[in-house]
Amino acid sequence: MTAPFIYLDNAATTPVDPEVREAMRPFLDAEFGNPSSRHRVGQRAAEAVDRARAEVARATGAKAADVVFTSGGTEANNLAVLGSARARRKHGRHVLVGPTEHPCVRESAQALVEEGFEVETLRLDSSGALDLAHLAAALRPDTVLVGLLLVQNEFGSVQPVREVSARVRARSPHAAVHVDAVQAFGKVEVSLRSLGADSIAISAHKVHGPKGSGALVVNGAIPLRPLVFGGGQQGGRRPGTEGVAGIVGLGVSARLAEERRESACASMRRCRDIVAAGIARIPGARVLEPGAPAQPVSPAILAVVIPGAPSEVRMNHLEELGVIVSAGSACHSKTSQVSPSLVAIGLSAADARCMLRFSFSRATTESDASTAVSALEAVCSKLESARK
Amino acid sequence: MQQARERAQVSGTPALPPPEIVLVRYGELALKGGNRRQFEDRLAQNIRDATARISGVRVERRRGRLAVFPERRTEDVAFRLQEVFGIKSVSPAWGSPSEPDAIARCAQPVLVDALAALPPDREVTFRVHTSRGDKLFPLNSIELDRYVAEKIMPGLGRLRVRLDDPELALGIDVRAERSYVFVRRLPGPGGLPVGTLGRALCLLSGGIDSPVAAWMSMKRGLHVGFITFHSYPFVGDASKRKVVEVARLLARWQQPESRLFVVPFTEIQTAIRDAAPESYRTVLYRRFMQRIAARVAAENRLAALITGESLGQVASQTLENIACIEAAADAQVLRPLIGFDKEDTVAVARRIGTFDVSSRQEPDCCSVFMPERPVLRGKIEACEAAEAGLDLAGLIDRACAGIETIELDPEA
Repeated sequence: MTAPFIYLDNAATTPVDPEVREAMRPFLDAEFGNPSSRHRVGQRAAEAVDRARAEVARATGAKAADVVFTSGGTEANNLAVLGSARARRKHGRHVLVGPTEHPCVRESAQALVEEGFEVETLRLDSSGALDLAHLAAALRPDTVLVGLLLVQNEFGSVQPVREVSARVRARSPHAAVHVDAVQAFGKVEVSLRSLGADSIAISAHKVHGPKGSGALVVNGAIPLRPLVFGGGQQGGRRPGTEGVAGIVGLGVSARLAEERRESACASMRRCRDIVAAGIARIPGARVLEPGAPAQPVSPAILAVVIPGAPSEVRMNHLEELGVIVSAGSACHSKTSQVSPSLVAIGLSAADARCMLRFSFSRATTESDASTAVSALEAVCSKLESARK
Repeated sequence: MQQARERAQVSGTPALPPPEIVLVRYGELALKGGNRRQFEDRLAQNIRDATARISGVRVERRRGRLAVFPERRTEDVAFRLQEVFGIKSVSPAWGSPSEPDAIARCAQPVLVDALAALPPDREVTFRVHTSRGDKLFPLNSIELDRYVAEKIMPGLGRLRVRLDDPELALGIDVRAERSYVFVRRLPGPGGLPVGTLGRALCLLSGGIDSPVAAWMSMKRGLHVGFITFHSYPFVGDASKRKVVEVARLLARWQQPESRLFVVPFTEIQTAIRDAAPESYRTVLYRRFMQRIAARVAAENRLAALITGESLGQVASQTLENIACIEAAADAQVLRPLIGFDKEDTVAVARRIGTFDVSSRQEPDCCSVFMPERPVLRGKIEACEAAEAGLDLAGLIDRACAGIETIELDPEA
């Protein structure tokens, strides 16, 4: 994973692990079979899909039969939100989503409004942590879905999902708890059991796997309406010929992400600390950690506000020095609006425009982090002197 | 200015740390007198094997219980142990220094977590139940029950003591070195630890019954090998893979190792088609299966054969036909489903997850050259007469020589 640049935008995507690439290669070559075909070529592909299913299941504490492969995190989240809510509409039409959700949860929930659902957004308390008292008050007997992310993609907060699911069970017996674990997987324990969740969305390319491959892991036979219809693959929950190579890649990357989680976290934590220490030396700069210290933060994400220049400008200057960071979440950075998540944590529009996100992976080295700090210091003093 | 903060650990449960251990209760094996030690050792080994891919675990023997110490993912380990035979129930538990105040402090967030999942705005019945391994502990069990209850109940207004069948039962396991508290008791599958009663070989078809027969045998302490018969190219590899899939689902219940023998059966079926009366084909196929299975069992030191036979389930499953099949080879045959109705079998198959795979429509070798009217009351002499023209030894030798042995990686 060597590159002529230092890549600190791992929350957007990660480089593919060579072990993942090698595992995928045969399925882009001689092993091109359709897993639904009954002949040997097809059966070998089906075998590979089964192996990947077992690997994803092990990494998330599920059973193999409970893994639904999708085209990625966005589809997995859409399937959970739309599919669970629609399957439960006889019990009610009330949906709750977290205050700092990724657009794929927020907007799929919003799409339910047209179908007669009532969608409410949870709140943060004054410290920036999820407001559990408000959640308890918002839960109703006709609540059918609560969607919450485990690690926030822009600033890395770890949400108290277990506490949320306990309150949901107590007050809303028909509600499904869906967890968007796309940024959490490989960084915190992602387990149906310990989270008390009904479904979990993960994505391969955030953990050194290929793009276009993800999964929704469900808790047994929970009711789920499909989003697409077709040949009955995956028990009808997500029909369509399986993307075998991508699925194989997801299986291997999921296994590696969970096997190496502790060591990866320790190394990402060291990198994050190096950059955070560098930020602390920049006058006026601050680290964003809403809800801290009660609410922990992912070791993979460091969001900072450095006043004085728009984040885009700082990002471009860093790029010139070979350091790649993000000026905001890449999924909607093309729109110039401040994201609702940043509004929710009370960030002013001015501060939001000065926000940079450093994100790390197990491939990031401490020397990468130190070099990034030096580059950032150089950029800051250059921009500072330009203003004088 | 806000600084980046050092944190020891990132987790989704800031209020309550992950549980430290899993307490394992076993049922019947406590009754087994002289064998008890051996049963416990086997259960401990089975626990280590079943959880190996989730976390390394250390297993300690306790008075009538086992304590499992996972390195990580305790909740997933507890969930996994719900599928280890011999286990009656499991409890994820939190550790505390063995001192009354510390135990009460440890129990507080555990109860808060459990209470959060119960309907709000009403009383919850509650009791404390102490089990004392350390008889030197300053308080006796009842005293500690009372001490802990008095300490934590004021802060949790909803609790009301009821000793008989409470909604929340806080368990306390007092040991000299460290004590444990728990509230959840997750049911295990019961039965006896796999391997304590020996090894056997199950004939797996593509149907619903034989996997259930295998599972019921494992439940009673047998380690089960699997054998299936494949008539390629009359039957495609999709049928073989279906059996492999089912066998993997079963392998989950007897880790670490399970083996499936795939016997090439085409030559035998063709020979029977050409030489025997049509109505006897099915019975004769099964007589060959019996012979081959008996030989494989003997070679692999498996002490019995297991089949999914149940009387009268299909028209040809008669006492006479079963007698014809059994007479073909000298082997002990177990038929765990003999008293089962179809619904009983289906219920178990659904519970253990084999039903969906088993009910997938794939031909199996029994449907090859299927007679229109199979014999209902077969006679052993007729079977022997029909086989007289066949090279029995040669057919069986060649089938056995062609066996493909698949080491089953559970669910993968």
